[in-house]
Amino acid sequence: MEEIVFGIGITALAGALATVAGAAEDTESDIGSQGDPNSQVQLAPQMGYIHRIFNKAIAGEPPAYGLWVALGAGLAWAFMAMHINPILAIVLGSALAVFVQGVYATTAYLGRTASLAKFGQPVYIDILKSMTTVTMAHAFIAIFATVAMCHLMISALGHPFPLPLLGLVWGIALGAAGSATGNPFYGKERQYQEQKFGAGVPISASGNIVRYAEAGQRNSLDNGFFSAKLGGPASGICFGLIVFFELWRTVVFEPLAAGWGAVIVGVIVILIFAIIDRYIEVWARKTFGPYVAPEEASS
Amino acid sequence: MSALGGPAQTAGVQSPTGMGLAISIILIIVALALAFFLVQMAGLLALVGIIIGGVLIGFGVHFVPVGGAPAAMGQAPGIATGVAMLAAGAGLAGLFGGAWAAPLGFPLALAGGAIGGGLLMAITCTMVNVIYIFGMGIPAASGKVAKDPITGDTFPEYKSQGTEGHGLPFISWVGGVVGGALGGLGGTLIYLELLDIYQAQMPALLGATVEQIAPIAISLAGVFAVGMFLMNAVLAAYNITGTIEGPHDPKFKRFPRAIIAAAAASAVAGIFAIGLLELVGVF
Repeated sequence: MEEIVFGIGITALAGALATVAGAAEDTESDIGSQGDPNSQVQLAPQMGYIHRIFNKAIAGEPPAYGLWVALGAGLAWAFMAMHINPILAIVLGSALAVFVQGVYATTAYLGRTASLAKFGQPVYIDILKSMTTVTMAHAFIAIFATVAMCHLMISALGHPFPLPLLGLVWGIALGAAGSATGNPFYGKERQYQEQKFGAGVPISASGNIVRYAEAGQRNSLDNGFFSAKLGGPASGICFGLIVFFELWRTVVFEPLAAGWGAVIVGVIVILIFAIIDRYIEVWARKTFGPYVAPEEASS
Repeated sequence: MSALGGPAQTAGVQSPTGMGLAISIILIIVALALAFFLVQMAGLLALVGIIIGGVLIGFGVHFVPVGGAPAAMGQAPGIATGVAMLAAGAGLAGLFGGAWAAPLGFPLALAGGAIGGGLLMAITCTMVNVIYIFGMGIPAASGKVAKDPITGDTFPEYKSQGTEGHGLPFISWVGGVVGGALGGLGGTLIYLELLDIYQAQMPALLGATVEQIAPIAISLAGVFAVGMFLMNAVLAAYNITGTIEGPHDPKFKRFPRAIIAAAAASAVAGIFAIGLLELVGVF
């Protein structure tokens, strides 16, 4: 019994760490425009819209986070093998991984933006200096929380995978959850804030992203401020729920029915999410109703 | 990946070519023969398992509703990320569950892997709809079919002007969960087959007990399973070319070509994974 209570505590802690990681990951990727909306940041200058948005999308979020988290986990694992305290080892490993992320962000911004020189898009050195450090700070939180979560899974819950491999697995899952949940909010609601709420962006408006803020030109810190209100927390909840339910069903229900308890509970949880999804889908159809074209074209 | 440019993509069935089919079959037969030659019957059976695992992954990826960049602007239905990436996220979460349940037996580990992948997709797809509905005020509308094959909901009147549809209809949600489950099942199958091979060969090779070699065997099998997962997911993504809404999308019918490619690629990669220790033993 004590073992199960301990397992539930670790599960809750891992879920909380995953929630923080997911929120930080999405905010970091939105500040860096690393998710799919980067296509618009890259497209805008080609359509004549010069902007001051950071752009480091030379890899998708899942492989990029797979690399950074695996790197942080691998270094932490090596430090732990040198008998360094696990918490210090995870901090050191994550910090070193963040330097790789910083180098990646710098070269990606310079490379992607320089490729737009023929369309008149300048490389802003002040943007590079102010945004890179902010993405690094968010990336540190995401990497540290994920590596700490992986360490808990191994040392407290007894997962057989070594720390670097677990870092790769959960790093990719973190990027997948964060990009899936957070991208539409950043892409549609922020970059196309001038478009009507409650409708998709017409393809004819592609590239015409919002480039001006309350005062002066908009930059990626403004975007981070915006997406931290919903896209980031929603991504955090998504990744937190994934980690929590994955661990919870195993820790609590695996002892039942010779191990099949965890599988049965997993199926039940999937069915519950199916009901929630269907409920909000019907709710949206009833509440918002069919599409009504605006009187004036918004593009 | 922009909705604006690029050559027109051919939707619907794209059958495998005769040459591709013949080369794939030859590669698979050669790999199976090598597996039998290197590790006898156990190697042959393990490679068959790996090929089945790869095929499950390649097939499963076709179910996952991925809208890519246009989905992030509410211009196309699906999840706003890459095909291979999302499928890999789900499949590897499944592998995590499957590897954890491995000591409890083969069927339980496979079921655990499938449920792990399905669970990730169920939660992700639901949260995607939460963002579309509560963050953007957009109801789901498929661009490929007028009516949801499961719920019977009609879509054309909900589709915004100038878009190909948006959101995640229920059929896409179901497709995502099925795709995640198949990916988790395939990844776990590859892992278990390789683990069996390594646990049988390593003690003799290294002069150690099964318990002593367990960390190395688990790490090697895990790394190969992750690698083969990514390989098959990317192959399937090339077959899909861009975006897919799920099992109701005409592009779904292209899956036979991906299955053949996944089988051939898994056979070739699998023989390297199986023959690794034999190769190490030679030196």
